[in-house]
Amino acid sequence: MITVTGISSSYGKRQILKGASFTAGKGECIGIVGANGCGKSTFLSILAGVLRPDAGTVLYGGRAAWRRSAAGGRGNRSGRMRCDRELIRRMTGYVPQENPLMPELSVYDNLRLWYPDKEELLHELKDGFLGVLGIGEFVTERAGKLSGGMKKRVSIGIAMAGMPPVLLMDEPGAALDLVCKEDIRKYLQLYLARHGTVVIATHEEGELSLCDKLYVMKNGVLSQIDRNLRGEALTGLF
Amino acid sequence: MLLQAILLMVIIGMIAFCGVKGMQKDPLAVGADIGVVVQEDNVMTRLALGYVENMESVSELCRFVQVSETEGRRMLEQGDIVALVVMPEQLVEGVMDGRNPSVDIIFPKNAQLEAMLFRELTESGAGFLRVAQAQIYGAADTAVEFGLTDELSVMEAEIDSYNLAFALDRLSIYDEETVSPTGRLSVVQHYVSSGIVLFLLLAGMAAYPVMQPGRAALRKQLARAGIGEPWQNICRWLCGLLYLLCLAGVICLLLWGLRLCAPEAAQRLSELLTGGRHRALAAGIRAGMLLAVLAAASAFHTLAYSVSQNRTGGILLIFLFSVTAVYLSGGFVPSALLPVPFRTIGDALPTAWLMRVCGSLLTGDGNGMGSCVVRLCLCTATFYATACALEYFRDRRRDGAD
Repeated sequence: MITVTGISSSYGKRQILKGASFTAGKGECIGIVGANGCGKSTFLSILAGVLRPDAGTVLYGGRAAWRRSAAGGRGNRSGRMRCDRELIRRMTGYVPQENPLMPELSVYDNLRLWYPDKEELLHELKDGFLGVLGIGEFVTERAGKLSGGMKKRVSIGIAMAGMPPVLLMDEPGAALDLVCKEDIRKYLQLYLARHGTVVIATHEEGELSLCDKLYVMKNGVLSQIDRNLRGEALTGLF
Repeated sequence: MLLQAILLMVIIGMIAFCGVKGMQKDPLAVGADIGVVVQEDNVMTRLALGYVENMESVSELCRFVQVSETEGRRMLEQGDIVALVVMPEQLVEGVMDGRNPSVDIIFPKNAQLEAMLFRELTESGAGFLRVAQAQIYGAADTAVEFGLTDELSVMEAEIDSYNLAFALDRLSIYDEETVSPTGRLSVVQHYVSSGIVLFLLLAGMAAYPVMQPGRAALRKQLARAGIGEPWQNICRWLCGLLYLLCLAGVICLLLWGLRLCAPEAAQRLSELLTGGRHRALAAGIRAGMLLAVLAAASAFHTLAYSVSQNRTGGILLIFLFSVTAVYLSGGFVPSALLPVPFRTIGDALPTAWLMRVCGSLLTGDGNGMGSCVVRLCLCTATFYATACALEYFRDRRRDGAD
């Protein structure tokens, strides 16, 4: 489903990612751990098509989302990194660390921005994933008045617009209470059971337990580690 | 927030009103004291002195103080008077019988401004008298030469009337040009145009809900949906423009309502604000100029919120910049009355161009406004590009840190 090869990225003189690679199939959950500022969010932003990598390829369902265009121009310079945004938008849902809500609007209006089909939205709220997330209970509330957990659920709901087969999540459980974390974990289990693919940057034990593969990011290098590592054995690798 | 902005405008308007009152004070208040020595104190001399003292051109500049010659010279040395006029005995009688006794006018060696002005006044008066006398004597000699002595009195009366009609009434000879610190605008028009600019800029303080940059997460989601940073900023700018257009629309509706309810008052207001010439510009040009003004104001608000990233910072930035820039551009006190460095800075600020275009919209005088509108458009583009660059580099730095 996802094939990531040799993704590199830099900001100024600082090399943030150095040839990150992994693969994930349908129904697989990939966990990425690492210290704060190690480049997890940058990596997920590249997979989500928000940031442009310096090098590497990203394939979704065998089609290139990020690739380098053919070399050209004077001096035979290598080509520019090209993005297939339509493919990324169709294939991925992205849950950034902060919530992407407009606080002045109601939850329903926030969702309507991302669900162009009103009937589909109402169906999702009643019987679909949005219903599973429990968003229907507070859909008329103003987004600015929601708790952190509610906002995170709506954020996931927004990411799920169009039912993408890949879900990219950046620390979804951060600063949430145990009940919310558990709700999100159950939701992810359901999503994986329906052959969705999840790439999650996290430190949460509950979310790590869902992962089929675990990667650690250190000094810009992504390395696979034993998925059962926990506690100090895990943090010692950061 | 809009109410607070309006309240602020009222306060600033009061300051401007006080400024106008201060500006309307007579700028030249010389009030020079002139010592007059009258050798003989008779009715004719007093009448002549009173006549000269009450002449408008003299009374604006001088006050006559009757002194003795010794006292007058002492006062002249001490600088208490700027000139000493010594009137001879039988002055009036001498003038009437043609002897023309001379009047001595004594100035100090190092004449100050007041003394110089009085000297100019005296010399111009003496010059005029010389010309008048030459005319009278010339006419008399000519009349005698051609045996027209009977017509002499009529000729002298004619010469006097011509002198009084043309030479003394300088306004009929020279074009009058009124120089005002507010330039081509009247004081009312100047303050209305600067008030409009200040209102438009401060109105941005209430525009945060529609002009906020948005959270980084929202911007990322929008970028994923194909609405990149430039488009997001264009949308914010357009929201601000729409908001300002709505405000302008409300003001137009109020004026229209006034025209319906009190047409005479509306007519008087229109004449006061526009001088009845606002229709001199074509409607399309006026609309374009108004749009350029609103677009520049909206671009400024977009940039201010991009710099501050939050409501409080944005409001503070908009307030400080607006008030300072409008002051430097002569919005509170006309720039001609500001110190030269302030004037130089103020002329280079976009608020000066905004005020000029607003003034032009009021008066209908589009002379030289093309360059102002072009500058405003460039200014809009610069503000917008800076806002885009700020958002881009801020997001990149944030992503680079994660």
